Amino acid sequence: MSAAPTPPLPPPTPSPMDAPSGGEDRFKLRGWHVALVASLIGLFLLFYQGLWGDPSAIPTVLIGTPAPTFSGPTVVDGSTFDLSQYRGKVVMVNFWASWCQECRLEHENLLALYNQFRTNPDFVMVGINYQDKLEDARQYLSVYGSPFQQVRDLKGTISIDYGVYGVPETFIIDKQGVIRHKEVGPIVGPDYNLLTERIIPTLLQSPGPSAS
Amino acid sequence: MTRTAFMVVALLLTGSWGALPVFAPVEARAAQVEETALDDQVREIAKTLRCAICQTENIWESQSVLAAQMRAIIRERLKAGETPDQIKAYFLSRYGDYILMKPRVRGWNWVIWAGPFVLLLIGGIMLTRTLSRWSASAASTPADPLPPLSEPSRKRIDNELRAYDQ
Repeated sequence: MSAAPTPPLPPPTPSPMDAPSGGEDRFKLRGWHVALVASLIGLFLLFYQGLWGDPSAIPTVLIGTPAPTFSGPTVVDGSTFDLSQYRGKVVMVNFWASWCQECRLEHENLLALYNQFRTNPDFVMVGINYQDKLEDARQYLSVYGSPFQQVRDLKGTISIDYGVYGVPETFIIDKQGVIRHKEVGPIVGPDYNLLTERIIPTLLQSPGPSAS
Repeated sequence: MTRTAFMVVALLLTGSWGALPVFAPVEARAAQVEETALDDQVREIAKTLRCAICQTENIWESQSVLAAQMRAIIRERLKAGETPDQIKAYFLSRYGDYILMKPRVRGWNWVIWAGPFVLLLIGGIMLTRTLSRWSASAASTPADPLPPLSEPSRKRIDNELRAYDQ
């Protein structure tokens, strides 16, 4: 056995291969970072919509499609209202119920809107009484007033035909019988202005069905 | 638990009272069988449609008036001879994709259906790349040339080895 002291091994020199590959890694990771951040933002938006958006808001598919025709007994005297009699007119269909608080909120506006267009022979307004008792509906109308026709939706067939899932909902049908506008919730504020100043006047001015 | 209990009771009842319908008039029984078949069909369709006002429930389970009216419509349309697909298409045309418990794979819906698998694929690719980079760097380390052995060290190793052999 040799007792001679040996000098320690020199420290290993760093391999020249490491430095450039490290830099390359960092560059590639940056590309991934962008993708990662973009997808995280996407996920966040998805969760935002899912958690804080209105889950009861159903995008309508009926705009631009022919308005389902309907007929039914009126609230006031039970005589038959038939939408097909009003072909070629601009029809505003308003779904409401006596138990619906938001319907009371818009009722004043409905009356004002009716008064604004009632002299135009091409304008028709009809209310559809939704999931209601006849006495309650009559009571409501006698209190709040109703100068236009009101139809009872006995089995919910009219509402479901119009894809209604709550009240109030309002549809505007043009002279060709196509649904042009849908309003979910009460017609108040800017919604009221949009209807009375833009949508209804424009549709009233447009020409009626030519061939039919 | 309650469901099982209910089924046991129902089984017992049908077991002990199963003989009774024999005495019912044949026409009545036939009508009953038809009604039950119709109910089954209504249930099958109603289970695929979402209650528009209660979101998480289908219209078979929902207690809402709207759901009841929808079930009645399904029933009437079945009686009128429509197929389940025609009835579903009707509700789809009124309420859009929203009404389906299982929305169609179409348009933007593709993102929701394919998204998890795409993310899984991206994750897998990233994992493979990282792992291969790790293993590549691990493999390259021992391949680095060691510094040459100094002369005293070599002598010492030789000495040690010789001492060990003896």
